[in-house]
Amino acid sequence: MEQTVNYSADGATAYNFAYLDEQTKRMIRRALLKAVAIPGYQVPFAGREMPMPYGWGTGGVQVTAAVIGPNDTLKVIDQGADDTTNAVSIRQFFAKTANVATTEKTAEASIIQTRHRIPEKELREDQVLVYQVPIPEPLRFLEPRETETRKMHALEEYGLMHVKLYEDIARHGHIATTYAYPVMVDDRYVMDPSPTPKFDNPKMNDMAALQLFGAGREKRIYALPPYTKVKSLDFEDHPFEVQTWKDECGMCGARDSYLDEVILDDQGNRMFVCSDTDYCSERQEAGHRGPQHHDQPLGKAAREKAAE
Amino acid sequence: MTLQSQTSDLLPGFDHAAFDSNAVFRVLLDAMSRPGCIYDLPVSIATPDGLNASATATLLAMADMDTTIWLSTSCMTKAANDHLKFHCGCPISDDVAQADFAVARIDDDLSFITRLSMGNAEYPDQSATLILMVDDITNAPAMKLTGPGIKDSHDLAIKNLPASFHTWRAENHHMFPCGVDVIFASLTQISALSRTTRIEVI
Repeated sequence: MEQTVNYSADGATAYNFAYLDEQTKRMIRRALLKAVAIPGYQVPFAGREMPMPYGWGTGGVQVTAAVIGPNDTLKVIDQGADDTTNAVSIRQFFAKTANVATTEKTAEASIIQTRHRIPEKELREDQVLVYQVPIPEPLRFLEPRETETRKMHALEEYGLMHVKLYEDIARHGHIATTYAYPVMVDDRYVMDPSPTPKFDNPKMNDMAALQLFGAGREKRIYALPPYTKVKSLDFEDHPFEVQTWKDECGMCGARDSYLDEVILDDQGNRMFVCSDTDYCSERQEAGHRGPQHHDQPLGKAAREKAAE
Repeated sequence: MTLQSQTSDLLPGFDHAAFDSNAVFRVLLDAMSRPGCIYDLPVSIATPDGLNASATATLLAMADMDTTIWLSTSCMTKAANDHLKFHCGCPISDDVAQADFAVARIDDDLSFITRLSMGNAEYPDQSATLILMVDDITNAPAMKLTGPGIKDSHDLAIKNLPASFHTWRAENHHMFPCGVDVIFASLTQISALSRTTRIEVI
């Protein structure tokens, strides 16, 4: 039954297509079908050890391995960037074990595996977004016992989560949770959107693409079917808000994307750049310029100053 | 020899286990995440007596030694039994309450569906999936579907779907998050109803 795919030049190693054996993929696929049928519910699965440490996206990798086919095009991002260690190594992993095409362009990908961001570009119906999740249980830091959190989900007992958000307001004057901001899925399950910034939460609502979540160490899979209602928890007098910035992207001038702060020196100088590298470079190719771009006056001055 | 005469009757499974099972799974994943959308079966596959191509492909892609199959009387042929035992290695039970996948034809007596496992409040994923072999799936306005996975609404028509199915399905929907998911399998097409899907019979 099993067929090996041998793509390495020296012929020394042979993997089953997409690394995992067929029985493991079937087990993950069954969990995925249940996950889309019960949006926001965490389906336990027999997570395997992967050739990378926990915390490096073993859950997302297993979900991608079960979903990916020979005609897929894979994009992997880590905090929005295609060129960081985690993204590069996972992309190479599937290029090697599944011989699939890879891309850095959001629009060209059929499967996008992500760590902690949702691409700025709106996703389509024919795309699948796979999240790497560290702690899938939104109630875990409020109630450490799995037996209890499972009961709380069963009974739809989410008062504790609201108390936590209320305590934020009592202490800080506003809801201070900025990432892994809990959401209510289809008016039933409270779900952890993984440690994406809350900036991305509104994108999850009514998204055209299928969203799959894999937690390798915790061995849980959950999902959001397309066009599912996803609402960030809030209060009438403290409505949910996303982060905003006074600055624009130093490279492309974007004011609508999630910005990372970059420290430039020890004199307090800094700049902001888009965390989504594909979004930023596409804007630059289209001619958009931010103040620190190398062909802008400020960028040029900085370069000359550095040369002196 | 005895062994030879047994195996010589066997039909082949997938041409390519990894690629074909992936293609079938992707159709099932799309179908389950977009209830009411109709997908073409992406592979051609040998079909034993008692099953149709879509149901056979679904079982070969999803079932193995960890899943119990239940077959209705009209599906429970020796050929189907041998085919599933050989290619999936799955236990086949005559107790419908044990089934992870239950397979039936639309013109069978469907009274068994009330005995399918719905999971429990803490583990709603421990529920059965019903694979219903049907003659024809179309987008004619017989059922209006709404819910997760559906933008606005979808129309779906299953030929000869009995009224008792809708009665059961309405109760099933009320039990959310527990419940049974349904895969409709025609000769060449697949469509699904997730337990979240609301059905308005037109």
